[in-house]
Amino acid sequence: MSESAMKDTNDLNSTTLPQRDQYRAAITRLPITMRPTLEQQLAGWERLFPYEQNRLRAFLDALQAFSLAALEVLTQPMREIESRMGVQSWHFTAGSETMENSSLLARSEYYAEWRSCVQRIYEAVEAEARKIAPTQPQRTRRIVLILPANLPLEAYSAWAHWEGRGRKISLAQGSVPFGEALLSGPQGGLHGLQDAAGVDSSDCWIIDAENKIHASVAPSSTACNLSYATLQEFREHFLAEVNTIPKNLQAADEILAALRPQNWERWWPASLGNDARLRNFVVDLFLSGNGALIFCNSFVEWAASEALRRARPATLVARFGMRAKPKAFTGIAIFENQHRISSLPDVDDPEGSAIDAQLLARYIWLSARRYSEYDSAYLVCISESLHAAWLIAPDNKMPDWKLEDAVSAEQVRAWLNTAL
Amino acid sequence: MSITENETWMQPNRRQLLKSAAVLLVSAWANAQGAGFAQIQPPALTRKIIVVACGGMRRSDTFSATGAQNIPHLYRDLLPQSVFYPLVQNAGVTSHFNTISSILTGQWQRLDDWGKTAPVSPTFFERARKQYKLGQEQAWLISSNKALSSKIGASSVREYGAAYGANVVFPKQLLINAVVRAAAGGRPVQSTDRSSVQPEIEAMLSRDNFDGLGWSVFGDNSVLEPKTLGAIEGAIAELVRTNAPATGDEFTYLVSREVMRRFAPSLLVVTFSDMEVAHFGSYAMHLAGIRTVDRLVYELWNEVQTQPAYKDKTTLFVLPEFGRDADGSSTNGFFNHRQNDPSTRMTWMMCLGEAARKAQIIEQPAAHTSVYAAISRLLDLEKSGDASQPPLAGLSL
Repeated sequence: MSESAMKDTNDLNSTTLPQRDQYRAAITRLPITMRPTLEQQLAGWERLFPYEQNRLRAFLDALQAFSLAALEVLTQPMREIESRMGVQSWHFTAGSETMENSSLLARSEYYAEWRSCVQRIYEAVEAEARKIAPTQPQRTRRIVLILPANLPLEAYSAWAHWEGRGRKISLAQGSVPFGEALLSGPQGGLHGLQDAAGVDSSDCWIIDAENKIHASVAPSSTACNLSYATLQEFREHFLAEVNTIPKNLQAADEILAALRPQNWERWWPASLGNDARLRNFVVDLFLSGNGALIFCNSFVEWAASEALRRARPATLVARFGMRAKPKAFTGIAIFENQHRISSLPDVDDPEGSAIDAQLLARYIWLSARRYSEYDSAYLVCISESLHAAWLIAPDNKMPDWKLEDAVSAEQVRAWLNTAL
Repeated sequence: MSITENETWMQPNRRQLLKSAAVLLVSAWANAQGAGFAQIQPPALTRKIIVVACGGMRRSDTFSATGAQNIPHLYRDLLPQSVFYPLVQNAGVTSHFNTISSILTGQWQRLDDWGKTAPVSPTFFERARKQYKLGQEQAWLISSNKALSSKIGASSVREYGAAYGANVVFPKQLLINAVVRAAAGGRPVQSTDRSSVQPEIEAMLSRDNFDGLGWSVFGDNSVLEPKTLGAIEGAIAELVRTNAPATGDEFTYLVSREVMRRFAPSLLVVTFSDMEVAHFGSYAMHLAGIRTVDRLVYELWNEVQTQPAYKDKTTLFVLPEFGRDADGSSTNGFFNHRQNDPSTRMTWMMCLGEAARKAQIIEQPAAHTSVYAAISRLLDLEKSGDASQPPLAGLSL
């Protein structure tokens, strides 16, 4: 390992959680199949976002508050399930999450029962956590999704996935793309994109298939900025390593474990600076699959979903983009770097990209809906090609714009700014 | 992409190249068996069984008001002549290896997802081959899916096993490996460079037992003849020179068809996987994969009608392995197939041909393991395996 990589690792492992040992002891009181997730989070404490740290700390404090007898009663059903599963004879890793762990659990005939039991234990511990530290009043959150002008959405089907909540509005046409006009403009543009004292950068995420937003709209922002295009060099090297993984769970786990601390220094874009936490997010993102290494729109969707899950940001902006058509013949090896295996030039796939992006935009909203923090969130999903958008907000916060109105970027921005 | 475009996307010259490659590949296997194989006519069953497993496709993207547009042949051409089961449950592990081995054995298998171990109960290949003393050319599993391995063709049960198993072939993987190996050797595929992939194919097909492809063909002696090998290389080198969309399932279908023409196997299982591009998050490409399968199943059925060895003797089962996860699930929706939810577990099945004498829709729930029970009845296999599975209603067994 190089010196710089060592430095990164040392930084990440520095002890800033005084109760770490007590927490470790609390985790060992849980049934073995519940430990890997908690152990892994605790081991990577410094790489967690504030939301994750707060949640983990609250969970472990509550766990410690359980008496031995009470915890025994709570976890006994789980221990019985583990016994029926035959966990004792498994090659199960308690210290971290592995693909083999997941595979062993998922193929057990008791898997569904196990999942329900995990959920019951979590609910009980989190209920205890709420008693110890009552939850804070929730802030209103905002999600801005941009389907750029080069994605030709079909007017009749573009919003089909969104029916049920919210409504469509018409957008005014201006000299600059609507998304760009929305995020920039006078008086600092969309509030929350700029630096604010005492606010962690993970409170605002800008995720872009290209590099339009950060470069031209919010260059001074210290938000979590991720761009599929800017990450190209890193992606290509990372993909090459991932593709060496054989069809063997144990070997795959070993390679994945080796990939995490590897020195990728020279391949990181300057925009990620020395942000070890954000770099770690990207590595985790790419290791978790879901096409984030392969297609720009999958990257945008999965990064946004993971940001919502892990950081619960107040503001999330996600902009989709264009992917190329699968190349002749080499398209069957789609998991490979197409530039490396084929010298044929890329050809844009606007129709396919539009189909992908319109569904994946909806997926980001569905991800947010899983978390109570977004119950009263504001959402705007903009189709620049249709000059239309879909709005969602609490009923009493919806603007009274009519469909025939051509709403300007300033109006939408002002409405979104009322959320904060 | 419209349905019409989808049906005509493959240029005639390109399809001809794929056909040539498939013909040559199957010729190679036949030749590899030598004179003994050619001269002795091993017994075959009168009845023919074909099972097509189609990866993960949601009912909402196929047999539904909105999904029917993706399966015009299944919906318009085949449904009216089939026994259709709209409620087929995958109650096992919703991974590819486990699902296919559950279909083959009639028991829910809980194995390593990547095919490290063989099914733990006998496949219908083994039972039929042992009971009727069928030759090895009578049982084939031809798959696009790289998540399978050659262990799918036979169980680990002592009295059965590889000696009674199926030939297992992964044509799509041959093409993928050739491209990847060419790139790894610094020879990216170019529209004008026919030499970039050819050596990779030669290297792979020359090896004993097709090492690296996971094939298990005709026992342990599957080495291709050099002369035939050269012909295959030429055909596939032509293939890579074309600048048209590619689909591995197309090649899998063509190899399957050629196997039917050469060997007329009594037992053939084909698995398609183009729609599994969903794992990478392209919904458009996922739907294109569904449309390809729709077309290929239709072509396969038409092929059955044109071959005397199959016409009026064949029962064809078509079913997705599972659905895909529901929109909004914590498993990222259609990308994956591991949610314990009807969107993933509940799918459909279509049965055509000899056993499906009266077209009808059977609302009674069925399961993937029901296929084995039906095949056991059709072939009058002595041991029925999972006796708990009721026979499929609506079939003439």
